[in-house]
Formats: sequence, C-alpha cells, structure tokens
Amino acid sequence: MAQQRRTGDGPPPGEDPTFDLAVPLPADLLYRRCDPDHLPFDLCTELVDAPGLIGQERATEAVRFAVRMRRKGYNIYALGDRGAGRQQLIEDLLRHQAETEPIPPDWCYVNNFVDPQQPRCLSLPAGRGAAFDAAMKRLVEELRATLPAAFERDDYRARQQVIEQQFKERSEQAFGALQQHAEGRGIALLRTPMGLALAPKRDGRVVSPEDFEALPADQRERTQREIEGIQGELEAMMRQVPLWEREHRGALRALNRDTAAFAIGHLLEDVRNGYRELPAVIDYLEAVERDIKENIDDFLAPPAAPPGAEGPGPAAPPGDDARFRRYRVNLIVDNGAQKGAPVIYEDNPTHQTLAGRIDNLARFGALVTDFNLIAPGALHRANGGYLLLDAQKLLAGNFGWASLKRALSAGEIRTESLEQLLSMPSTVTLKPEPIRLDLKVVLLGPASLYYLLSGSDDEFPELFKIAADFEDRVARTPEMTLLYARLVAAIVRRQQLRCFDRAAVARVIEQAARLAGDQQRLSTSLRAITDLLQEADQLAADAGKEEVGAAEVEAAIAAQFRRGDRLYRRLQEEIGRKTIRLETRGERVGQVNGLSVISLGTLSFGNPARITAQIRLGRGEVVDIEREVALGGPLHSKGVLILAGFLGGRFGDTRPLSLNASLVFEQSYGGIDGDSASAAELFALLSALADAPIKQSFAVTGSVDQHGQIQAIGGVNEKIEGFFDACRLSGLADGQGVIIPASNVKHLMLRRDVVAAAAEGRFAIRPIDTVDQGMELLTGIPAGAAGAGGAYPVGSLNFRIAARLDAFAARTAELWRGAAPGGSLR
Amino acid sequence: MAWCGAWRFAAVIGGIERIVVSLDAVSEIHAAIAAAARLAVRWNAALHGVFVEDEDLLRLAGLPFARQVSLGAGAEALTAAQAARQLRAFAETARRELAAAARRHDLRWSFEIVHGAAAVTTAAGDFIVACAASRPIGAHFRIDTQPRRAVAPGSGSLLLMHPVRAGRTVVTVLHDREPASGRVLEAAAQFAEAADASLVVVCASKLARDKRFEAWVGERLAAYSVHPRIESAPGDPAALQRHILGLDCGLLALAEDAEPADPDRRREIATGTGCDILVMR
Repeated sequence: MAQQRRTGDGPPPGEDPTFDLAVPLPADLLYRRCDPDHLPFDLCTELVDAPGLIGQERATEAVRFAVRMRRKGYNIYALGDRGAGRQQLIEDLLRHQAETEPIPPDWCYVNNFVDPQQPRCLSLPAGRGAAFDAAMKRLVEELRATLPAAFERDDYRARQQVIEQQFKERSEQAFGALQQHAEGRGIALLRTPMGLALAPKRDGRVVSPEDFEALPADQRERTQREIEGIQGELEAMMRQVPLWEREHRGALRALNRDTAAFAIGHLLEDVRNGYRELPAVIDYLEAVERDIKENIDDFLAPPAAPPGAEGPGPAAPPGDDARFRRYRVNLIVDNGAQKGAPVIYEDNPTHQTLAGRIDNLARFGALVTDFNLIAPGALHRANGGYLLLDAQKLLAGNFGWASLKRALSAGEIRTESLEQLLSMPSTVTLKPEPIRLDLKVVLLGPASLYYLLSGSDDEFPELFKIAADFEDRVARTPEMTLLYARLVAAIVRRQQLRCFDRAAVARVIEQAARLAGDQQRLSTSLRAITDLLQEADQLAADAGKEEVGAAEVEAAIAAQFRRGDRLYRRLQEEIGRKTIRLETRGERVGQVNGLSVISLGTLSFGNPARITAQIRLGRGEVVDIEREVALGGPLHSKGVLILAGFLGGRFGDTRPLSLNASLVFEQSYGGIDGDSASAAELFALLSALADAPIKQSFAVTGSVDQHGQIQAIGGVNEKIEGFFDACRLSGLADGQGVIIPASNVKHLMLRRDVVAAAAEGRFAIRPIDTVDQGMELLTGIPAGAAGAGGAYPVGSLNFRIAARLDAFAARTAELWRGAAPGGSLR
Repeated sequence: MAWCGAWRFAAVIGGIERIVVSLDAVSEIHAAIAAAARLAVRWNAALHGVFVEDEDLLRLAGLPFARQVSLGAGAEALTAAQAARQLRAFAETARRELAAAARRHDLRWSFEIVHGAAAVTTAAGDFIVACAASRPIGAHFRIDTQPRRAVAPGSGSLLLMHPVRAGRTVVTVLHDREPASGRVLEAAAQFAEAADASLVVVCASKLARDKRFEAWVGERLAAYSVHPRIESAPGDPAALQRHILGLDCGLLALAEDAEPADPDRRREIATGTGCDILVMR
C-alpha cells in the first residue's frame, strides 16, 4: 500500500488539517468544535451588534462605489443566494447614504387643456404637491360659490338683459317693420311649421284659394308681385338671422368672460402668488384661467350626479363632479414626509407596478379615463433615490424587465399600457407626459442570472455596470468567529429573541460551519441562521427557559432535519428491510458501496447504493449503463469515461485493452449526475478485473482523474452520515466506515453520533489520495508499484489486473486468428 | 319653477276632470305638456291633447304662389300636400309626447286633431293649458299665430305657458274684492307655496291704500304660509307690464273678467313679461 503520511495533531485556524492516512481519522478531525470557553462573553446580549453583514467587504465596496458614481448605467446587480442578507445590507447602506441626499421633488399630473389625451406633469419642491392639490381643490370650491354669485348679481343680469333686449329688439324691429309693411298692403306674415310665409289677408284671415281666384286678374297679379317683393326682403332678413345670433352669442360670451375674469381674478391670483418661482405651475394656472372663462356654464349649472355609479369599476369619490375633474391635481408622488432620498423595494416588479398604470372608470357602459386615473409605479416613488428589485421576479413578471430597461435607457418614465409598450393596436387612451428619471436601481439575483444576462442581453452591461458579488461563506478565523457571535447577537436583538448563552452561540457557529460544508468556513446564509435562532428560541419558550442554551440549538437542528426527513427515513427503512439491497458486511467481487446525495428543498441527505461492474471480452470500452438509459448526467458520464482513460494509461501501453466493462448504480431509478462516484466505480471495475473481493463494510466517495488521483467531492458529511445510518440498521460492526478523498477532510462537520462512533473505533473515516490506497483498503491486498520494466509485483492487485488484461488480449488474438478473413470480433 | 304642487288648488278651482292641452305645429309644446301632466296628477284628472291645424296655413298652401322661408332651406314652394304632411308629422310628434307624459305619470289620456279657430270646445270640468308663444325664428323672434285663438273665449280656467325660464315671484292682479278675486288670490298663494315663491298683489292705487282691503287679503290667505306684498298698479297697460317685469314674475294670476280682458293683450303681457299667465274663471 502506498502510504502518504501526514503528521500533526490538529489544524491551526485557516490551515488544512494534518492526518495519518494509515489509520482512521481521529474524532477531532471529524468535527471542528467552537469552544465556548474561547468566546469572551457569557450571554450574547453583552455583545455589540455586528456592523452589517460579515465578510462582504468586496460587495460593500462595489455598492458604495456605485452610489457615489452618479453617471448613467451605474446601476447595481447584487449577486448572491437568497437568504444571505444581501437585501438588508444593501438597504442599510442605501438608507444611510439616502439620509444625506436631498429630498426629491413631488410629482403630479394635471390636465392638458390643449390636448387632454396628453396630461402634463408638474414637478414641485417636496411637500408642496399636496399644498398645490389642496389649493386647486379650494379654488374650484370657491369658484363654484363665487361664479354663480357673480352671475346672479343684479349688475350681471342687467347687462345680460341689455344684450338680450338689444338683439331681441333688433330682430323684432326688423321683422316687425317687415310685418307692418306687409300688413299695410293687406299681406299677413305667418308662422309655418318650418319658417315664415306671406299670404294675402282679408278681414283678419288669409284669403282662401277660391276667393283669391275670384279676384280680378290685375289685383291677383298685384298682390302676387307685392308678396314676391316682400318675400325677397324676408329672405334677406332670414339670412341675417344667423349673423345676429352669432353676434348675440359673442356678446354674451364676452359678458360672461368679463364677469368671470373679474370674479376669478383675485382667487387665481392668490394661488399664483404661492408658486411664482415655478414657471411650469404658473403656465398651468394660466391655462386653467383660460379654460374656466371658456366653460363658465359648468360652474353655473347645478351639481351633476357622480360618475361611475352605474357599473363596476373604481368608484368615484363622493361629491366628485365630472365637470371639475379637469381642474384636479393628481399627486402621484408626495415626498412631503420623506427624509432624504427614497429607498424603495418593489416586491412585484411588473410593467404596471414599475412604470405605473392608467385606470379606467365605467361610465354609461363604456370605460373612460383621464389624468386623474394615472397611478404611479415604483419608478415614480423611487425617483431621485434608490429602487431595489428581485431580478428573478423582474424577469418573470409581465414585461417588467423591458419596461425597466426602457426607462433607464431613456432616462424617463413613460406611463403607458402594455399594448402601447408592445406597439399593439389598442383603444384610445392617455399618453401622459414622460417624467424625468434619476435613480439608482439595485437588482438582487443569483450569480447564474447575472452571467446569463451579461451574455445574452446587450443592454444589460450598459445599464448595470456594477456587480456586487456577495460571498456565501466566510473564513472561520478566531476574529470572524467573534464577529459571527456579534452577528448572532444582532439577530437576537432585532428579532427580539431570548438571550443566547455562550454555549448556544458556539453551537450556532458550528452549525454555520456545517451549513458551509467546511470546518474552515462559516455560512453567510442569514436566513438559515435566523431560522435556527428563532426555532431554538421557541423551544426555550416551550421549556419555560429565560435563556437559550446549546441544548435548544441542538434540538432545533435535529427538529429541522426531522421535519423534512420522511423520504430519508423511508430509504433507510427499505435498506433495513432488504428491499434496497445494501451489503455492509462481507466481501464481493466487482461490487462497492457508492454514495450519492439527494437534495429535497432545504434538506440534503446521503443515499448509499451498490455500484457493480461486469467485464467481458471487447474493445476497451467502459459502458455507463446510467448514460445508456439516459439516467446519467454529463458529469457522471465524464467520470466514467475517465475510468477508461485511467485503465488505458496504466495498463494499455504494453497490451491491448481487449475488454468491455459495464457499470451501474444498482436499484437506482432516478437521474444521477456528478462525478463523485467515479472512484467507487473504478474500484468496482478494478475488483472485477483483479477478481479481488471488496469489503462491503466500506462505502466510497470521491472522484478520480486519469492518473488515479482521488479528488474532492461535495456533500461529504451527508454521504458519511447516510452510510453510517445504514450500517447502524443492523448494528455497527468492526471495520465499517467510509473512504473519502483526503482533500475532503477539512470539510468534515459530522453529526455527534457519527463522531462518537468514530471515537469509540466503531466507525472509521479513511481518507485516501490515490486509487491504489483505496484498493488496498477495500481489498486488503497491496496494490503494487510498477517496476523498471513496467511489471508489477507478483500477487499485487495491479499484477492481477495486468494478468487478466493479458489473458483477455490473448483470447482476443486467438479468436481473431480463428475468425474468417474480413470477419469481425464483437 | 314647478307651479303645480298645491293640493288645495282643486278646492279653489273646483271639479277639474280634464286637463286640456292645446297643441299645434308652431308652438313649443314640451313645457305645456309637462305642466298639463303635473296638473293632471294633482287633480287626478285625465289628460286630453288637442292638436289644432292652422286654418290660415292651409289656405296659404292652397294659393299658387305660396312659399315658405326658413333658416335651414331659404325660400321653397309650399303646397297643400306639403302643409298637410308637415301638420301630420307635428301632430304625431305631439301625440307621442303626450302619450309618453301620460305613461310616466300613469294618467288617462286622449288626443284629437281639430281644425281652425275656436275649434277647441271645452266642458265645465276642463282646465286648459296652452303655450303662449311660437317657436322662435333664430333665438329671439317669435310671431303670434292663429292657434292660440283656437280656444273659444270663456271656455274655462287657462294656464298660458311661457316658453322661456320664468322668474321667482307670483303676481296677482286684482281690481276688486269680489269672490272671483278671492279665488284668484288663493290660487296664486297656493302656486307661490308650491314653488316656494313670494306673492305680490297688484291692484289699483286706491285699493292698495285701503286698510280694509289689506285686512281682506290677510283674511283670505290666513291658511297659507305666504305673506303677500300689496302694491299699486300703474294705470297704463304698458307701465303695468314694465312694473310686472320688474317684479321678476314667474306667474301672473288674473280673474277671467279682470283687465286686460282681451286674450291677445294678455298674451302680449305674457310674452312681454316672460311669465306664465293663469286665468281663473
């Protein structure tokens, strides 16, 4: 057996542990404790809160730089896993910065009196939007009282009567003169259903046709001529009537305008005086004044019924009169109560929740809208500050991503319907004036999405120039351990939990290492740690304790696993009942216990399975049965192909590899991926070739390279625990254990019971660096090193393998010789 | 102004069984029909529409040179057939509008078309509603025509509707203290109550200064909430019209035998003052 001996009693902080490959790992290397005695406090309440997230200096610096960088495109993509506390950290950073920044202005939409379809936006200093809204409401209320009063006044009515009388007299005089002229000639002016007519009259009545016919001819002709003459005058006069009417309307309008101007002048002046320094507001108020003068009748008519009462849709406010909606102010952003710049998190980022929407009212069976129904989005609320969005939700939402990119690229917010955004045909709706956009967007998302967007979306790198890459773990140094304790204290304080004692904090830190899957690292998953603290707190509460101790933390960890381990228990149960065949005693040729990890939600557990190999004559191919049936992923297939490479490299230089081998995970009915079973598969294959039985008391995990070096794998703790539980089903026996890559020893954070069994010598963890070390452990036969001529010591494993391959080659040659020319050997 | 809300009105006028509304092709019939319907509801009376075909129009249309001048079409020939068609169309419109008003108020109703002056014959239980002026040519010029003379004189109490918005005061013109004047005074008070209007009694100067007259008025109106103001009337009819105009009059109540007795003169007052006229029998 090739021995690689490492020495040393224990790993100094931050360095790889040293150990002896010839013996099982000592218990202290299977789990790195956090010694409570090294923690300088009794209760976590004695600690000062950790400053933000720990170990995130790089990401923090990136965020700070982006915040300082006030140029276009310097938005942030915060890479990291959920639950790592990114959002909290960034929000804290941004809020701290935002407090020092100016409060952005209020924004409101008002009517565009020239084109109501394109509402105008007005920007007012923070807090003055609401005052402007109130001023306009007050103005309308006062106008509704003032204008009718002005038009009820005697002087107005007198002026109106003068105009009425003037035009009445004009028409009466004209028609009266005509009528008098006609009657002087015995001709009556008659009102017909459609207009006027002239007829000869006698004794106050129109002459009948019979009587007219009875008149002398010259009298008839005279009468007819006279009627025709007067009729010409009548026609000329009738042509004048529309002109008189127009003049009359104009005179009344002028009177109304003058009356209104006088009545509203001082009211509007009062409003104007409050906004002299805001030209856009003054401009708007002038438009309001013009519109009021043109629509005086609206203020004189009695109140109208509230709109929208006859159908579904947003109900109009009580007392809302449709005639005066155009004078209202739709205050979409009110920063009156804002301190500094806003920091907004939008939980549901869609096109509408970002860029706003235009609502509709049902009125007389039709949907109608106006500028009052423009609703703001998160971009409006965050304008002038910071907007945080979940990148995955943004991309999954209804065109939220397209909408955000468009706004950031254009530097303005356009509130429009989806149909407008997508240039699809739509009904006529509003086209509000765009609002200038000046904000910093922070996207929170996984790293994979960042790289995907970087590679596939041309606009993304332009718009999100800053990547804040968050660590999912930090180095477990003494300083960091203390900082972690302060983080625990901060969470306890923030969540208002019971006080955690020193031992409890130590156990939490150990669990953080387990979550990181590394003795030398601590997980930064704040969510997992927070959950653990809360659950331990609840258990302490259930037990009536004032403080949380290590026992509650331990119980909470066990409970977390127990809540999700139904499938794991079922697998173990079936192993115990022999439904799933797993041999943990005895020896087998071409069979080894492999280990895989199953991840279900937040729970991962080890799943032991038999890996078997069969060999036969062939052309040097190793068949991965999992791949053949499409159950194996690409990484698993890669691992199997490496085996062929290893065989060829070690044994193929002096003989043809005249074999075919097949490998399979027995009783595996789901997909399998990863190369962590490649070492086990190689051991099964070599066992079959050497005809050397493998001890079934071992399970193996590790990947292998083409030179036979064993490489680290993931999930080593879960795998060991899975095999330990399987062995325990029939009682632990001597020699049982797990062979792992030596490079995985630093990742060991095993369960207490596994560590205890190892300490008692009832379960062994055996690290290896090479295939030969593993084969020696599994078979008890020396592997044998190649001599100067490439020959292996007689009796060694490699000798037996080489001999078997030689025999395969000879048999193949023999078969070739006996085969017909042009034939083939399959 | 809703003049027709007084329940006690029936007691004053007495025995109204039918509201006869006079309609024609040149009047603004909507106000007349609406007022007639409301009165019919108050008095639980039937509604009867009489559409009067203007005899003068039909004679004119029979003349070979007859032409009609309108704002919409200018001058055009007017034949007897055209005139008949136009009258039929207007009559049908009036009938439908009357039927709709009757349906709205759940009234018994009838309709007839009559021909010529004084063609509307009335019975003792009839109350007549008619429009005081024709539709205007343009916005202002209204011309009087034959149909308002369609109602035979002395047919019954009459309400002449003015087509333009009325004022807020009820004015009663009285010349004596006869029982008929008392009925007019009470009717005017009831209209004023129903419309929340003020009441002005206009009478000869001598009467206006007479304390006994003032007491008589107070006694007749003791049961009503209105407080009349007594004013002396100018002797000259034109001055009287100006005086009434200055009172913002909405309804002018007269006894049938009161001056001016001439229906044309009363109509002139109605159009001149812009108010409705109630003539009590």
